Amino acid sequence: MSILFLILFLVPFAASAAAFMFRHIPKWYAVVLSCVPLAILIAGQGRWIGSNIQYAWFPAMSIQFHLNIDALSLVFLYLTAVIIPISLLAAGSLAYAHIFYGLVFLLQGLLIGFFTARDLAVFTIFWEAMLIPLYFIINLWGGPQRQMASLKFLIYMIAGSVLMVAAVLALYFAAGKSFNLDTLAGVSAGAPYAVWLFGIFMLAFAVKTPLFPFHAWLPDAYCQAPVAGTILLSAILSKAGIYGILRIGMELFPTLLQEWSPLLLGLSIAGVFYGGFAAWMQRDFKRLIAYSSFSHVNFVMVGLFVWSQTAHSGAILQALNHGITIAALFLVAGWLEERLGTTSFGHVSGLAKFLPQLCWLTLLFVLSSVALPGTNSFVGELLILFGLFVNYPWAAAFLALTVILSVIYMLRWMQKVYFDEPSLFQDSWMDITVKELAIAAPLAFLILWIGIYPAPVLNQIKPASQKIIAEETT
Amino acid sequence: MNIVLNWVDFAAISPLLIILVGALLVLLLETFDESASKKYAGILTLATIALAIYAAIVSPPSHNNLLTPWLRFDSLERLFTVLFLAIGFGSALLSSSFFQRFEATRGEYFFLLLSALFGLILVGASADFLTLFLGLETLSIALYVLCGYMKKWEISHEAAIKYFLMGALAAAFLLYGIALIYGAVGTTRFDALLGGYHALAAGSDKVLFLSGIALVTLGLAFKAAIVPFHVWAPDVYDGAPTPVTAFMAVGTKVGAFAAFVRVFFDALPQFDILWHEGIALLAYPTLIYANIVAIRQQQLRRFFAYSGISHAGFLLIPLAAGTPDALSALLFYLVVYALATLGSFAVLAFLDERTEGVLLRDLKGLFRRSPLLAGVLALCLLTLAGIPPTAGFFAKFYVFKVAFEAGYYALVIVGLLTTILSAYYYLRIVAIMFAEVPEETASPKRSWPAALVGAAAFAAIAVISCFPAPLLQLLQLK
Repeated sequence: MSILFLILFLVPFAASAAAFMFRHIPKWYAVVLSCVPLAILIAGQGRWIGSNIQYAWFPAMSIQFHLNIDALSLVFLYLTAVIIPISLLAAGSLAYAHIFYGLVFLLQGLLIGFFTARDLAVFTIFWEAMLIPLYFIINLWGGPQRQMASLKFLIYMIAGSVLMVAAVLALYFAAGKSFNLDTLAGVSAGAPYAVWLFGIFMLAFAVKTPLFPFHAWLPDAYCQAPVAGTILLSAILSKAGIYGILRIGMELFPTLLQEWSPLLLGLSIAGVFYGGFAAWMQRDFKRLIAYSSFSHVNFVMVGLFVWSQTAHSGAILQALNHGITIAALFLVAGWLEERLGTTSFGHVSGLAKFLPQLCWLTLLFVLSSVALPGTNSFVGELLILFGLFVNYPWAAAFLALTVILSVIYMLRWMQKVYFDEPSLFQDSWMDITVKELAIAAPLAFLILWIGIYPAPVLNQIKPASQKIIAEETT
Repeated sequence: MNIVLNWVDFAAISPLLIILVGALLVLLLETFDESASKKYAGILTLATIALAIYAAIVSPPSHNNLLTPWLRFDSLERLFTVLFLAIGFGSALLSSSFFQRFEATRGEYFFLLLSALFGLILVGASADFLTLFLGLETLSIALYVLCGYMKKWEISHEAAIKYFLMGALAAAFLLYGIALIYGAVGTTRFDALLGGYHALAAGSDKVLFLSGIALVTLGLAFKAAIVPFHVWAPDVYDGAPTPVTAFMAVGTKVGAFAAFVRVFFDALPQFDILWHEGIALLAYPTLIYANIVAIRQQQLRRFFAYSGISHAGFLLIPLAAGTPDALSALLFYLVVYALATLGSFAVLAFLDERTEGVLLRDLKGLFRRSPLLAGVLALCLLTLAGIPPTAGFFAKFYVFKVAFEAGYYALVIVGLLTTILSAYYYLRIVAIMFAEVPEETASPKRSWPAALVGAAAFAAIAVISCFPAPLLQLLQLK
């Protein structure tokens, strides 16, 4: 399988180089290329666990270019493979489209590397490197304030993770000059200043995800980015932080994570509420979805910070779900923006009459976002709440209230835009085309599939969440 | 006692001889046929340097005791020689591109460039304080003239005078330091320094020696533009013609650190913890000051002066650590810095149209005008900022590792925090390149020599980023 893994890793980079070089690349061509990793993943289904790539990258510091797929990696690989083509499809006609495709492919390759890195130095390199394509995507194709938003995004990210290099080095010396995560897991607890090292890593992950209150970069970056960029940021970048907590936090610092659990839980529950209330206050639906994404990501983190296997599988599942749902929501919001020419709402209403298909599609995704039973988020959030209830029943009761909160702000948007009294018809209000429906269909399918029959996905996730708890108890 | 030089000895010093002959030929060509010089001086220089690179790679070491007291023939010397010559080759190409735009006589210019290279090679090969001093002075005197080479540029006058005064002062410090060391141990030979130092009884002799070392350090710190001995650098870089600035930013910087390596890694490895502590103390202000001031720069030659100072700060970290691993870290950093800086100047060469050089606002919308140039400059700036996965990240990471190992934790933290600042100002330039195009700007002029430098730097950075192992193996000396 290692050959196939190498191909999986290299295809996006090759595609990226090709896209940078050839000026006129038709969009369908780029989409097909971006689907190749998904096709490879499906072709090798069931045999991925344990695939390896390894070569000595920087011998002077014993950095091994070591990639390895385990159950946890695989979940995020699938998410990446699904979301990247969607984001390309979501992009409208862009100037310098080939550069855009190249950057998205580059990001895809870096993400595959990041989600499989088994060497802490390689992990760090991919962690930082993935910022660059995103920075350019916001900076080149974003809204009017894209310069400021992209720089703010980048500086926040770098400031959040700059000390990680020092922490990585501290672990490297504590482990007797090795970056291998398996070796590090044995020594990290006893490393000098382990609390500080853990804090530094958590800060980096908290900024990227973002955990409350490290989210100041989020509204600008999400709103100024082009639709495709927003999808990448919300569906994948936030998962990088979550993956970091799972990979580094749980593998290297399990005891510290448990000790800090009350504080981190408190922050993430606060984040769920903050995001919910902020979303409620918005008069701009792109910002509204941005804050709702923030709120839901913090919900996922609640699941991570409770030490229970149920909550962890819930969190991993919900990370996947959130990726799918938020991509779908930004996708339909992008289409709505195209038709209205604005992202603020309140000017027009009753669009359901003119755009019935878009309306029902949006409603499906909104219902998934508010975790209606039968949709994917219901399963994930329920598992998180179960896990939380066992340890902190009161917190679980409190957190369950946010489900109502998300219904309030989401349906308020639906109500104002799609229902109410119909406004006068305008020519630009064309209902979605078959092509657009075809783009949304796979997402809708995934939402319903995971919602109605989650067993196959949960079986995939189980080994990942079990491994962490098992290691802790032994 | 051997008193004749054999062919093998001439072969050993052939890079120096080739440069010397080439320089004289360029000067003769200018004297006898000015129009031919206009056409061929650049090509002659490039051919000379290329031949010297070949000679440096294949030349055998000499064991003749007429040479060995003065020059070293070890793998470090070979590495430095090839590195200097490669930098010289790049600078000569950039100079040809410069002369497509600005009119000036070529012969003397290339003669001076080759002389400066001669000096640099001498520094990298020095086995005695006298050869070291000779090399540094040959380099500096050529550069004083090169700085003011555009006689009609007013900013160049100021730059040349400042550089000359400051440089002369630094040379005086250096020489005085050498004299004190000679006074203490009775020799200027590097291989006798460590033994001489340990033989010193504590007391006045030791004070004499240490004062000498302090003055030598100070003199070299001037050349390397380390805070607080950096004040000349921004004005001089600002006023000099762009290819000369490129040569100073890369060649002089690498030369000064080559001198540091020769004296403090080769001759006096870890002779006194005090010196290492002192270097660490210089690194803090260098890192902090340069990174803060660089944020405000508008003129790119001046910007690269501050960028160079901040990188000198990073280069001080392995010097402070002083472990054997530190030498590889230092050399790796130097190579990456040289590549990225030359690559950046290659892009600037396309836009260089005025006396004051390229301003930040000239870069506005470069991406729309020429995506290729913007791509090269962006990669070079990301490398300088040390953003992974570029080779710049490995260079910084390696330096931090060395510092961590030697216990300079605070230096690691300060270094990391200043990378936030440097990421900000390098990426600000990148952001400007990708901004909208202003109305009146013309598209960049074509220039194949600069394109060659840019492409080579781009390719080298890309290869080193993906496969740093071969370069590292090359740098694992001894």
